[in-house]
This record gives sequence, structure tokens and C-alpha cells, in this order.
Amino acid sequence: MAPVLEVKDLSVRFAGVAALEHVSFTIEKEAIIAVIGPNGSGKTTLLKAILGLVPCQGQVRLYSRPVRQMLPQLGYVPQHFAFDSTFPLTVEEFIALTCRTPERLPVHGILAEVGMNAFKGKLIGELSGGQLQRVLLAHALLHRPRILFLDEATSGIDIEGQGDFYATIQRLNREHGVTVMMVSHEISMVYRFTDRIICLNRDLISHGETRSTLTAEVLKKLYGENAGFTVHGHEAVLPRSEAARAGSGRGHG
Amino acid sequence: MAELLQLPFMQRALLAGLVLGLLLSHLGIFVTLRRMAFFSDGIAHAALAGAAIGLLLHRDPLHTALIFSALLAVVIFFLEKRSRLPIDSIIGIMFTSSMALGVVLISLRQGYQPELIGYLFGNILAIRVPDLMLIVVLGTAILAFLFLQRRKLTLLALDREMAAMAGVNPGRYELLLYVMLACALVLGIRVLGIVLVSAILIIPVSTARLLSRSFRALTRWTVLIAECTVLAGIFLSYFLDLPTGAVIVLTGSVLFVLAFLASSLRRP
Repeated sequence: MAPVLEVKDLSVRFAGVAALEHVSFTIEKEAIIAVIGPNGSGKTTLLKAILGLVPCQGQVRLYSRPVRQMLPQLGYVPQHFAFDSTFPLTVEEFIALTCRTPERLPVHGILAEVGMNAFKGKLIGELSGGQLQRVLLAHALLHRPRILFLDEATSGIDIEGQGDFYATIQRLNREHGVTVMMVSHEISMVYRFTDRIICLNRDLISHGETRSTLTAEVLKKLYGENAGFTVHGHEAVLPRSEAARAGSGRGHG
Repeated sequence: MAELLQLPFMQRALLAGLVLGLLLSHLGIFVTLRRMAFFSDGIAHAALAGAAIGLLLHRDPLHTALIFSALLAVVIFFLEKRSRLPIDSIIGIMFTSSMALGVVLISLRQGYQPELIGYLFGNILAIRVPDLMLIVVLGTAILAFLFLQRRKLTLLALDREMAAMAGVNPGRYELLLYVMLACALVLGIRVLGIVLVSAILIIPVSTARLLSRSFRALTRWTVLIAECTVLAGIFLSYFLDLPTGAVIVLTGSVLFVLAFLASSLRRP
């Protein structure tokens, strides 16, 4: 079976400095793949290079075609949504912005799918961090994408909210066959919810099936000796700093 | 009042004011969302050089100001993309340089220049039939573009990456918005003047924001407030024998203060 996504020898440089070097991998249909690595390892750059949002060298093929030809087939939830939070735009209006035929828009269905139907008349600037991420997910799902890209979509959400968010992603994957590629710092969530993993530190450290690839040795290679990760059974224990960060999130929806 | 409406100059001023109110207030929604108030002010002031070129060459200053400002918008766009300077620095350089060029060019002409005062502060009597035709035709064309592309323009103003993922070409639409904004500002100079024209971009939409709980309501309030401001300003300036541009801006400011007080009282 042909891979859904094929990345060959992908490199990105910003002002002469390498952000990503000669990365190659493929993604199979209906998989949930996580991209992990320390800060500055090129995770977000990898996602943006695949989506054509930053200039890059190498080849990226989505369903054997250039990504620009496949835009209606993919959804994207960005790491930051730097909008003017005082701007009066309701959740329903925001979702409608990306619809080519707003009158035939399945707003209710999409919002219900991410548990946000009750919020459709609320202003996006008044949503909590978790609620906003769910709305961004609904926005990404509007055109029923075959592949979904999530860039640290749960940053700033507490652990319970993260669990809910990942459970929604897993349900979309299982019920609708959506392939998911996500950048994440939440190692324990990655361990619980993903099938495959790409470990990145500017170049590819390792990739493969999550449980067999995400070993203590690989984690130490990525995050250093004192990262504090331990892997046992079906759990990957959080380092202290990440636990503190996740616990201080803005709340969830 | 009926007699007043019979006066040809008043008919031209009212029609121009209504078209400009609709056009500039609509653009103001994108200008405030993208935080482009300084760009608008800079382009309006830079139009002085364009008008001065027209006066020197004995061409219609409105036409030369339109061409000059549109070109300046293109230059600002490319400098923003190609240089590492922040956009406000680029606008600051272009705006002051163009103003300086305008002052130098004007100084080359001898004697008092009443026409120039009209460009600086607006002159309701100065709207001739060709000016009105230009305002209506070009203004309608820009409004049609804004209406047809409002979904893409709003998405682009909210988040550039998200717009690109929705199939919008961000560079192309940003360039078009810059050029159209420059043209709309120059069209507004006849009524409001170089110094005050950007007020009608900013004040109605800011007032509307205080009263709106959705984008749809914001658009309706913005247009309604802009049209009321322009009409009330034109009539008041006539009856009080005061400069039209300044009275329009002050009318808008009064409405803003009233909306602010109303929204403050409504807030728990």
C-alpha cells in the first residue's frame, strides 16, 4: 500500500542556520504519529515544511501528489492562534470563514463532534485555552480531511483537558479513518494515544512503532541524562518540569 | 433643508460622502483587525507628494496622488517582505520622506495655494463632477472586491498561516489590500483631507466594536455609524459654517464617546 505521506531528504535553513537536516520518513494510512524532540529540535519546522508554510529543500508527497494540490484533504491546528481576542467573532462565524459554501455549512455537526455545540454563539476571545483548541480542531475538520496535522495543540491545557483532546483525536482516527500527525511535548499522552513516533533533533534520531521506539535510551538521547523520563508497562512518566507546566494550564473545555 | 438638497455641490458632497463612508468604514474593519492604523495614516500623509506632483505638472492632483500612493503601497509591501525592518519603521521612513518631498515640490510653486489647503483639510466645495465619478466608480470596484473576498480577507487578518492552509495566497491578498487601502484613502482626501482621512477608517469600526457581539453585527454597526457620521458632519459643517472634514471627525468622536459610555453602563 502506498504511504499517505512521503518525506524525502527534507532540509530547512533559516538565515543560513540548519533547522532541519535530511529528514526522511513515510506515514501509513490511518496511523496516529507523534513528532517529539527537545525545544529547537525542528518539530514545528518539520510540520510547516510539510505543509508548505516555510521554504524547504527535499520532497514532500501527500497521497503521491504535491501538498499544495491536496490542501482541501488536510486539516491543520496551529501551535499559536495569534488573533485579536477583543475582535467580536463568534465561534460559528469563525468556523464559517473557511467554508467555500457557508450556507451549506455543517457547523452544528462539526462543533458537536468536538463537544462545542453549546458554545457556537460565544465570542472566540472569551473561550478558555481548551475550548479554543477544540474550536480550532473543529475548524480543521470542517472539510472532512483525510489527514490532520496538530502542532502542540494541547499546550496550555491541563492534564484532564489534554486527555479529553487526545481521546477526541483517537475517536476521529478510529471512526472516520483520519490519519493524524502531531507535534507534542506530552510524552505520557504520546505513549498512550499514538501508534508511531518520530524522534527529532534537527535530524532524525529514530522512528517506528511508539512502544518499541520510545525507550528510556531514546528519551535520554533526546532530552539528556537528567530529563527524568521513565518508561514502564503502558506508561511514560513525566519529567517534573513538564508535569508542572501541564498542571498550570488555562483550563479545558 | 429641501433647498439645501437642491444645491449641486451639496448633492455631490452627499453622494461622495455616502460612498466614502461605506468604503472607508468597511476597510476599517480589516485595518483595525490587522493593526494597520499607522499604515493608513502614513499613506494618507504621503499622498501630499502625489498631489504636489499634480499641481506642479498641471495635472489633476487627485489622479497623481492616486498613482503615487498606490505605488508607495507596493514599495512598502516589498520592503516589508524583503528587508528585516519592522513594518512601522518602513512606513515611518516612507511617510516622512514623501511628506518632505511634497513640501519641497510645493515650495517650487510661487505664491499662495488655496488648492493645497483643500487637500490638507478637505473641501466639500472642491468636489467636481469628475472627482465624484472617480469616487463612485473606483469606490464601487473596491467595495465589490471587499464583498466578494471578505471571507478570505477576514481569515488572512485573523491568522496568516490558517489563511494559507485554506487556499488563500497571503502575499497576493495582502498586496491587493495595501493598494486598495491606499486608493480609498486618496479618494477620501477630497472630503476629509490628508490630515483627517484615516479617522473615518478607525473611528466608526472602533465605535461599532463597543456595541457588537458578532462579526455580522460589527459590519452593520460600522457602516451605519460611518454613514450617520458623514451625513451629520456634512450638514452640521454647512449650518455652522465650519470645515467639513473636521466636523465629520468630531461627529464620529462624539458617537464613540456615547458608545463607550453606553457599553460601560451595560457592562456588569
